[in-house]
Amino acid sequence: MATAQATADQVERIIAARSKTKIVRLLIFVVVLALVFLSVKTTIVDDTDWARIGSVWNVLESIGQFIGINWSLVPNLWQPALETIMVATLGTLLGVVVCIPAIWFGALNITPFAPITYPIARLMMTLSRSIHEIVWALFFVAAVGLGALAGVLAIAVRSVGFIAKMTAEAIEDLDPRPVEAIRAVGGSEFQVFIYAILPQVLPVMVGVIVFEWEINIRRSSILGLVGAGGLGLVFFRQLNTFNYPGVTTVILAILVLILFGEMVSYYVRKAII
Amino acid sequence: MSILSVRDLRVRYSASGPEILKGVSFEVGADDFFAIIGPSGAGKSTLIRCINRLVEPRSGEIVLYGTDVLALNSRQLRKLRRGIGMIFQEFNLVNRMSVMDNVLSGRLGYVGNMVGLFRLFSKEDISRALSVLDRVGLSDHVDKRADELSGGQRQRVGIARALMQDPKLLLLDEPTSSLDPKISREVMALIMEIAKEYKVPVLCNIHDVQLAMEFCNKIIGLQDGIKMFDGPTSKMNTKKLDEIYAMEVL
Amino acid sequence: MAVSTATQASSDTKPAPPREWRRFKFPESLYRWGGVLLALVFVSYSIIYLNIPLDRFFNMFGRVGQLVADRYYPPEIDYVLEPDYLASVFDTIQMSYLGALFGMLMAVPLGWFGSYNMTPSRRFVYPVARLVTMSARAVHETIWAILFVTILGFGMMAGVLALTMFCIGFAGKLFAEEIEAIDMGPVEALRATGASELNVMAYAVFPQVRVAFTGIGIYTWDVAFRAATVVGFFGAGGMGWYLKRNILQIETYRVSAILVSIIVLVLIAEGISAWARARVAKAK
Ligand SMILES: Nc1ncnc2c1ncn2[C@@H]1O[C@H](COP(=O)(O)OP(=O)(O)OP(=O)(O)O)[C@@H](O)[C@H]1O
Ligand SMILES: [Mg+2]
Repeated sequence: MATAQATADQVERIIAARSKTKIVRLLIFVVVLALVFLSVKTTIVDDTDWARIGSVWNVLESIGQFIGINWSLVPNLWQPALETIMVATLGTLLGVVVCIPAIWFGALNITPFAPITYPIARLMMTLSRSIHEIVWALFFVAAVGLGALAGVLAIAVRSVGFIAKMTAEAIEDLDPRPVEAIRAVGGSEFQVFIYAILPQVLPVMVGVIVFEWEINIRRSSILGLVGAGGLGLVFFRQLNTFNYPGVTTVILAILVLILFGEMVSYYVRKAII
Repeated sequence: MSILSVRDLRVRYSASGPEILKGVSFEVGADDFFAIIGPSGAGKSTLIRCINRLVEPRSGEIVLYGTDVLALNSRQLRKLRRGIGMIFQEFNLVNRMSVMDNVLSGRLGYVGNMVGLFRLFSKEDISRALSVLDRVGLSDHVDKRADELSGGQRQRVGIARALMQDPKLLLLDEPTSSLDPKISREVMALIMEIAKEYKVPVLCNIHDVQLAMEFCNKIIGLQDGIKMFDGPTSKMNTKKLDEIYAMEVL
Repeated sequence: MAVSTATQASSDTKPAPPREWRRFKFPESLYRWGGVLLALVFVSYSIIYLNIPLDRFFNMFGRVGQLVADRYYPPEIDYVLEPDYLASVFDTIQMSYLGALFGMLMAVPLGWFGSYNMTPSRRFVYPVARLVTMSARAVHETIWAILFVTILGFGMMAGVLALTMFCIGFAGKLFAEEIEAIDMGPVEALRATGASELNVMAYAVFPQVRVAFTGIGIYTWDVAFRAATVVGFFGAGGMGWYLKRNILQIETYRVSAILVSIIVLVLIAEGISAWARARVAKAK
């Protein structure tokens, strides 16, 4: 009897504890929900010109304008598409060049003087990753003028952070045994680098570069919006002339381009593994 | 009387792949503790998983308590599965959940979607979980997380989860292969006692012939998808074992 | 021993053909070096095709320094401390978290449907979910912003929706990858108890991905915040609008102040996000 009572007590206790955590969760949930509603009110409800939007029907109508493909535009897309890829490629490569000091300084096991060089590298990486490509492009357009060069520079600077971070981590995770093995057969430091370090780091780095290249196609496809050429410029022109099926066409072209980038990146990464 | 009968079971994992089970048939009685032995890759796991259709056989027949298992639709299959307890080699617990929640998850086949989603298990379920945990000797670990337990303790949670299902049949896939020999013996003994107490028949894959001979009353020997032996443990001998494990000896 | 018998066996039958080894293997090496050569040609051709003024490029470093010193320094810090601008910063923060929240609400089911191991139907649901996430990701957030502005007019609604689309693509892919990496053991165990798929998700999948999802969620917000700083450039609300106005009015000292403020805010957001993710990872 006593044990049955004890078990019943324990059941009560467990249920009480469970409902308590449930109440706490519910409270948190309600508070978060209230905050979200407040934000929705101040940002969306108050800031929207509801008269401009009109009814749901009007919205559907304006979405409907985008349906359709402007076939006559397609022949004019080849050149900007090629430009977009070129800007992405050159930007990525330039980014790799700029990366090298960041990698060297940013891997704790090879950084020349950790207290100073390591923070410099971290700052480079963070700045590069933190600032949006549109902002970078605006900056370089101001610096070197309109054109592809501004786009290439923006892409390059934007790429440094990710490539450098991943590669530096790969260097930090280096397997020391091959290094020892090459030293043990009497290899020089240079040979150690060529035969023990590079083979470990290079595949990672190439993989990261290709991955970044793929992302950069997406980025360079919009840099035309701020004057750096490519598909973004065509997009902008269609929009300004209210040619909405043309807008859709350009977006589809960008999708195709990105799909192409993903495929290339998939095969290259498969080839290097 | 047989409660589970399997007839001419054939399995392929892909249409073009090799046949893994090549027409296996056997009968399990109400108080049998069956061991399935055989070399690695013989198809033991495949066979066990066909019983509750975690693997879909290509052809054959499985009748459990008069139900044609292979004819069930997905809803009926869920209902069948909740009556079959399964214990796994790697325990298959949710490591980030408490022991209590792991054990309660054995009731999921019985409760509705919402009850399960918000963990609104009834008083009966919780007191049942407590008594089952008591039975497997884990009453001091109710609120621990599953990954804080030792291997043997984890497998006891696995047993408790299966018991929560009110099983009419227990399927064990190498329940002791991740445990050391002493703990293995303890766990097998526990399973055997429980099977007797709850009067459930057991079908158990096992690598360790010694353990099989010790705890099981019947043995099926599989080799390369073909049944080589089927009979009481007493009929098993070294010669037959050599036959079953022929591939490994060579 | 084994070695000697092996050599004996081979010498018994017939002399092994003289083995040769060359670094250059006929088709493979050709493909590889051909690929490298092609890439080099493409790069040089790109430089010519895009008309990139190399002289300007190499002089750039001096010029950029000159430009910054002359026209962008010192930033007019007072400008970014004005209440109007601070209000837009607050708007940007709200937009980023709303976009991240709505995006993730959509990304969780998309991640489930778009994970090969857990999707309800590999033939129909899986490809649709993948296509939706892929398109949301492929279209750049600024394009989403422009589209929504065209349809809904200027304002933060367009911004929040653009960020939502962006987060769907960003988080949806990561969620699906996370679900694909789970241990399938517990899933199988719960299926074997007869649990419904929804309960299998809740008991076997969710506990395994909870920590990772929280981390991804925080990261998504952080990335959404970076995007939120610029969607205003196209009229979708937030501080980007101030950037555009001042660029058009050639108020360079204000532009640099705004850029500085963006950098500082993004660094703060990144700091918060890194700290929160580290805490979540430790709490496990
Ligand atoms: N999901 C699967 N897909 C394809 N083939 C599988 C799958 N699972 C098992 N197999 C194959 O089926 C055969 C039998 O596997 P099974 O797991 O049933 O063997 P087993 O007797 O349990 O072996 P072990 O003692 O190693 O657990 C093996 O050749 C295996 O490669
Ligand atoms: Mg097995």
